[in-house]
Amino acid sequence: MTLNRRTAVIGSAIMAPVADEARSLEELLFDVSQAAMKDAGLTADEIDGIVVASNDQFDGRAIAVMAASGSVGGVDRDILSTPSASEHAFVMGVLRVASGQYETHLVVSWSPVEASSLSEAQRLGADPYFHRALPLDELSGAALQASAVLAARPEAADLAKRLSARNRANGKQAYPGVAEEGSGAAATAGRWPIEKDMVSPPVLGAVAMVIASEDCVARRGLDNVAWVRGMGWATEPGFLGDRDLSTAPALEEAARRAYAEAGLSDPRKALDVVELTDVSPYQELLAYDALGLSGKSKWRDDVLSGVFDRGGDLPVNPSGGVAAINPVFCTGLIRIAEAARQVQGKAGRHQIDNARTALGHAASGFAMMYQTVLVLGQNKDGALA
Amino acid sequence: MSAPRVGIIGIGQSAFKARRDDASYPDLVREAVNQALTGAGLGLDDIEAIVYSLSPDAMVGIGNAERLGVDAVGGRNKRFLRINTGGATGISSVAAAYYHIAAGACDVVMTAGADKVGECGDSQTVLNKIWDPTYERPLPLGTITMLAMSGIRYADKYGMTQEDMARVVVKNRRHASLNPNAHLRKEVTVDEVMASRCISWPIKLMDCCPQSSGGGAMVLASEKYIKQNRLDAVWITGVGHCSETYYLGDRMGRGFTADHADAYALRNSFQRAYKMAGITDPRKQVDVAELYAPFSNTEYHSIEAADLADPGGAVAGVNEGRFSIGGQIPVNASGGTLCTNAIAVTAMIRVAEVALQVSGRAGGHQVKGARIGIASGNGGDHQFFGTMVVEA
Repeated sequence: MTLNRRTAVIGSAIMAPVADEARSLEELLFDVSQAAMKDAGLTADEIDGIVVASNDQFDGRAIAVMAASGSVGGVDRDILSTPSASEHAFVMGVLRVASGQYETHLVVSWSPVEASSLSEAQRLGADPYFHRALPLDELSGAALQASAVLAARPEAADLAKRLSARNRANGKQAYPGVAEEGSGAAATAGRWPIEKDMVSPPVLGAVAMVIASEDCVARRGLDNVAWVRGMGWATEPGFLGDRDLSTAPALEEAARRAYAEAGLSDPRKALDVVELTDVSPYQELLAYDALGLSGKSKWRDDVLSGVFDRGGDLPVNPSGGVAAINPVFCTGLIRIAEAARQVQGKAGRHQIDNARTALGHAASGFAMMYQTVLVLGQNKDGALA
Repeated sequence: MSAPRVGIIGIGQSAFKARRDDASYPDLVREAVNQALTGAGLGLDDIEAIVYSLSPDAMVGIGNAERLGVDAVGGRNKRFLRINTGGATGISSVAAAYYHIAAGACDVVMTAGADKVGECGDSQTVLNKIWDPTYERPLPLGTITMLAMSGIRYADKYGMTQEDMARVVVKNRRHASLNPNAHLRKEVTVDEVMASRCISWPIKLMDCCPQSSGGGAMVLASEKYIKQNRLDAVWITGVGHCSETYYLGDRMGRGFTADHADAYALRNSFQRAYKMAGITDPRKQVDVAELYAPFSNTEYHSIEAADLADPGGAVAGVNEGRFSIGGQIPVNASGGTLCTNAIAVTAMIRVAEVALQVSGRAGGHQVKGARIGIASGNGGDHQFFGTMVVEA
């Protein structure tokens, strides 16, 4: 089902990791919002609506969105909040602009690290009777998923090491001095089969994006935007025991919907670059399968041939992805922003040449519970393959 | 461009109580979902997307508790996201469901949620955590003390007395006595309200909403789907949101950005909804209103923000019976938030009650001939406001 009106990303700003501890949360959110609006060429007065995503447990506040109200320019303006996931704020922003009631939207999310233990904060998200006592945090959930993938495809262990090294190298190239190779090893405990150097430690980060209607894009004469060609989102059930963690049916469903909306039948041909949310390289493998990029039986050939490397046919995570820089809660929205910036030719050091169509994938919750897929393109219309 | 019409085709709500020991949190959600689906004549498979309505996680003691509600709403492998704008969450969730359909993404969307405020221990302890940890939490601020300050300011500005506050309680309790789903259904007198213990001057115990447990759900559909399937519906014709500042200090003292006595962002939100619905004279056009007012004094500035009375004029209107069932524009015919507050769905129930009113199915608290209704929700520290116009 195609939306009633086209929408496009016209600006974005990614600030992660944020090392300046003197900056308050309000100042950080003001800075990232202003930077995104500047990138879009808009002022705060030209923003019709705002969707904010934050996590109460990470922030240590109830209704954490409240504190953002002034910083994002929300006073006397229309704010919604999607605490389920940062990427859901983007979904809501697109829907609101597509409804015809808004011309522009600012979407903002952040992820703090001041909590004494993010693991404990995540554990509050486990059901109090069965999972919380395990104890289960998001890395443990990812590890259970990784072990399920490993049981189904034993070759995944070697491939995970290969992908991990590639993502770290990509991160180092994309954000030198920030995402250093192996930087996470010392700060992060592994969870078998996820090894310590496969994940990066949580960092403070914020991201903001500006979405506009096709009418707004035309009126302002914008010629370098990332059109939302397809959007899908879906959820798995809440209990890990109700899932086969070696599969990702919600991601398959999200991709099916996004591809159908984009008129895309062969993602390997149609896409020029992919930004995945992969807390572990095992999740990346699972996403290859669910997104139709590489079936499980093809994993070995495709990964070892380098097809998804920066110089390959379909580069995946040229930014380094979550393995390089991981502001946990807003990392999904950052993937969408990275994909948009690739399409706009604004990705900087990790820009992929001729990236005309990009896929941004976001996953949140235990073991990729929430799945979101965005297909973004330079062209508003036209065949994608 | 004009958005396609969106209708309400199913409504579910619990009989709200102080405790629901018989039902888990997901059970409460499912209870409302089953009612809404039965009312709509649909099954879970007919629902294309879900907007989950849940305000602070800490109220149910589970982080991102919407995840545990996925199966309760039949959300597996479907489009699903959660909305939280504090007390406004319920109406914001209806609005979010509305946008799914208005955008053309879906034909049938459900919004659902539940709360167990009555079993959370103490909601004010949780709600103190909405404020700035350095400056405001230690005061200690709660939503009662926050709105007591609004009441004092309103009384100073417009001459409201504590007896005037009590008369709102008397009106709403009388309305709630007619509504089997309301939590506090016992009628009270002005003297009884005045004699109830002081919580935060001038707010007394009976000026406060209860801590309620229960669920709510609504099914929305596109006009095309409603016509194709020959369903009964009422229509959402106006939707608005508007926000105030976060810091209470910005609403007080010299150079305030907004007067804490009033609700300027609620007024602006109503203006947006009215403009969309083509309502130019709400005092003549609106038949019934469900306004989110958790404390008696806040109903006054809500009535004024909805432009059902001039600033300061709502007090006389309540005293004259203008806003009672049988009056010109009954406000909170269900008993309102003052008699039932399961925070995650309270503002959704405001929309649901208005929908029941304009469809003539409100039962004992039906307002005769209601065709156009308005609803509102307030969230955060009197910060996020959502409004809606619903028509037969």
